Amino acid sequence: MSKSLEAGGSQENGKLLLLGAYFDFIRIRFLTMLAYRVNYYSGILIYTLNIGVNYFTWKAIYGGGESLGGFTSAQMTTYVAVSWMARAFYFNNLDREISSDIRDGSIAIQFIRPYNYVLVKMMQGLGEGLFRFLMLMIPGMVVAVLLFPVELPTDPAAWIGFLVMLFFSFLISSQINVITGLSAFFVENNEGVMRMKRVIVDLFSGLIVPISLFPGWLSSVLDVLPFQAITYLPGSVFTGRVQGVGIWNVLGIQVFWFLVLLIPIVWLYYAARKRLFVQGG
Amino acid sequence: MYHLGLLWEYLKNYMKTRLTYRADFWVEVISDLLFQATNFIFIMVIFMHTESLGGWNQNEVVFVYGFFMVPFGVFSCFVNMWNFSERYIVKGEMDRVLTRPAHNLFQILLENVDPPSLIGSFIGLVIMAISGANLGLPFEWWTIPVLLLLTLSAVAIYTGIYTALTSLSFYSDAPTGILPLMYNIQNYGRYPVTIYNRAIQVLLTWIIPFAFVGIYPAALFLQRDEMRGMAILTPVVGAVFLSIGLLCWNYGVKRYKGAGS
Amino acid sequence: MNAIEVQDLRKTFKVQKNREGLKGAFADLFKRQYSEVTAVKDISFKIPEGEICGYIGENGAGKSTTIKMLTGILVPTSGQVSVGGFVPYMEREKFVQNIGVVFGQRSQLWWDIGVIESFQLLRKVYRVSEHDFKKRLDELVERLELQELLNRPVRKLSLGQRMRCELVAALLHNPSILFLDEPTIGLDIVVKSEIRDFLKDTNREHGTTILLTTHDLQDIEALCSRVIMLDDGRIIYDGGLEELKQRWGTGREVQFQFGAATRLAQLVQWTEGMPVTWTAENDLGAKVWIPLELNVSDVLARVVGAADITDIKIIETNTDEIVRSIYQSGSADKPEDKIAALQEEKEAAHV
Repeated sequence: MSKSLEAGGSQENGKLLLLGAYFDFIRIRFLTMLAYRVNYYSGILIYTLNIGVNYFTWKAIYGGGESLGGFTSAQMTTYVAVSWMARAFYFNNLDREISSDIRDGSIAIQFIRPYNYVLVKMMQGLGEGLFRFLMLMIPGMVVAVLLFPVELPTDPAAWIGFLVMLFFSFLISSQINVITGLSAFFVENNEGVMRMKRVIVDLFSGLIVPISLFPGWLSSVLDVLPFQAITYLPGSVFTGRVQGVGIWNVLGIQVFWFLVLLIPIVWLYYAARKRLFVQGG
Repeated sequence: MYHLGLLWEYLKNYMKTRLTYRADFWVEVISDLLFQATNFIFIMVIFMHTESLGGWNQNEVVFVYGFFMVPFGVFSCFVNMWNFSERYIVKGEMDRVLTRPAHNLFQILLENVDPPSLIGSFIGLVIMAISGANLGLPFEWWTIPVLLLLTLSAVAIYTGIYTALTSLSFYSDAPTGILPLMYNIQNYGRYPVTIYNRAIQVLLTWIIPFAFVGIYPAALFLQRDEMRGMAILTPVVGAVFLSIGLLCWNYGVKRYKGAGS
Repeated sequence: MNAIEVQDLRKTFKVQKNREGLKGAFADLFKRQYSEVTAVKDISFKIPEGEICGYIGENGAGKSTTIKMLTGILVPTSGQVSVGGFVPYMEREKFVQNIGVVFGQRSQLWWDIGVIESFQLLRKVYRVSEHDFKKRLDELVERLELQELLNRPVRKLSLGQRMRCELVAALLHNPSILFLDEPTIGLDIVVKSEIRDFLKDTNREHGTTILLTTHDLQDIEALCSRVIMLDDGRIIYDGGLEELKQRWGTGREVQFQFGAATRLAQLVQWTEGMPVTWTAENDLGAKVWIPLELNVSDVLARVVGAADITDIKIIETNTDEIVRSIYQSGSADKPEDKIAALQEEKEAAHV
């Protein structure tokens, strides 16, 4: 009796330790990001520039008209700013990191360590995201509000909804990155796949063009793809185009995609392990 | 002559390497095309909602896009330094390059040639031809030589900017993520810069002159007189920025040799 | 003539300090702190043409930094370097025509293509004529038995095969000076000795000057007539290998096997008056330690006449041990000398 209790206790302890280890991955990546000074300074400048250029491009497209695809000119400005800033948070290079681990063989060492490799990568991505959220997204948003006519939401529900959805944006975007990265197990050189992924995510998530502005057939295709959950849905909540109960609905879509994308990851992970251990890489 | 011979040798080696990974070759070509297609979709979407972008109609904007693809393809083929920091500084291959009797930058460029990118240039030419025909642009005796000159100048601008940025790797011990961000910005040179505010115009014209790889030189063929002066300036800007890039590079190498890794 | 001349060579690096913790990292974001590290501290040496010189030292002693300065990769902070009549970092492109470099841990061959393609490309890079190239390649390929490997891609080669190809790549342009950074690292004994033989032949036939760094002292024993030993950026020993052994070997050990049981007291008695130390292993075996100033034969003469001996083995202190003890003391002066020197210093201080 007491023996089994002890065993249970040490198991609990072990779990706590492992949890602590995962937390450490977030912390270490955060610190690593801090060390990349040049990246940090240039990141702020370039994200501001991106917002600026997109703002002026849309201004030229509106050319005095009031509404495009359900977006007013002011909403579009806000949408552009918040979308780029959100990208600063959810964007990471997990796909590149994973595939280079696979190509240089160091993944074998990662797989025999007593943690889940994919989870570790997600934690590192989160550390990177948190860094960018605090150091880049928030100051960047302040700059954007000062420079461009951005309208911040007044409804607290929009703020809370947006922040929760932003976290899911990160999860979904990172899941797609993990899937792309793990594909290196099965394609000899997945550079092309990674480039394609990047372009597709930027365009089809609604970062460059809000989904409602695409031609009808394309936007109905995009409605059933996971990409809109990354940028378009949280952006719609922030601009106030989706309110009240609608926030629960779009959040539901994100949760749905988060769960669905777990399936290929788990499958790829086990297929990769099998490949690594049975066939020797 | 020595350098041309080397270029040929490296291209031969590239082909041999590539033939061992045939599937990758096609994946790369297709992903390139897809990348171009998405940009194209953006233009299409814009013109679904408006007649003109800052006074430029759809065919004109598409023509500028076509021109933009030509020097970009050439640049991507011969100047491909995306993984410089990782491969040459972190993994230390720079040391090997420095023990060989050819200019170090030249060796690095040769080791990374990427001919599939040239397909983009050809597609760009086709797009120029189609949209040019739609616009009824005249084909003059000077069209081809000027196109060549402007393409080379634009390639020089790209090379200068990216060489300067890559040479940052010699100073910063951390891998830099500036290049992919710059990649976003260069695309803004494809749209009429006049739609932006003064600050961004100045930036894209004089500081990181991506307007000179797209809109300005293309305007010459579109007979847009308001930008003719700028178009003629393209070779000068190319020479200036290429020199800046090479200076930064050589200075960086000097520093590398002083500081080591 | 000297192939390599180094005078008061010094190299200082600026190293970025990372402050600890989150607070430190934030502080680093805005203001970096640097500290200076001197990797090579005013070293001087000359290597004549045709010599094979071993350059040894522990990790971080400054070996790689020196090699990088000698090959023109790094510019010295101060001091003079001349390699094959060139200042390496000045006319780099002309200078490197004369040298060959092998970094044991890094490949200079193209990963995905046949070995021969890499050689062809290097031929162009070094502007070797087709005729010379063919002659040289045939010679090297035959000597290193690479015929079957030439068309294989590098990634399909074993480490030993790859290293032999690396040597060919470094020697194709017939350099007069060859730098080898850990050429035998990770190789098995057979390949190691093949490579050693090859290097010796290259040196003999072409008069190639070779400077190699290694952690494997057998490389040194097999190849080098001279050793330069580095510790913490300074040269602590520069001279012949034999001399090193003599200076540092404190004595020899002789093992005896006896036909009949022999008591320790008996042995001690036989060598009465000699400063030797006996240790018994069992009834039929004993060891005697003989200091350097005593002739081994004198000791043997006393024992051989008296005891029933079945086997004798003379053991010299090996280089491994010598080097290990030099590293421990941080100086190639004999320990006694060092202590004496210290005492002198002390006395001088007292005066």
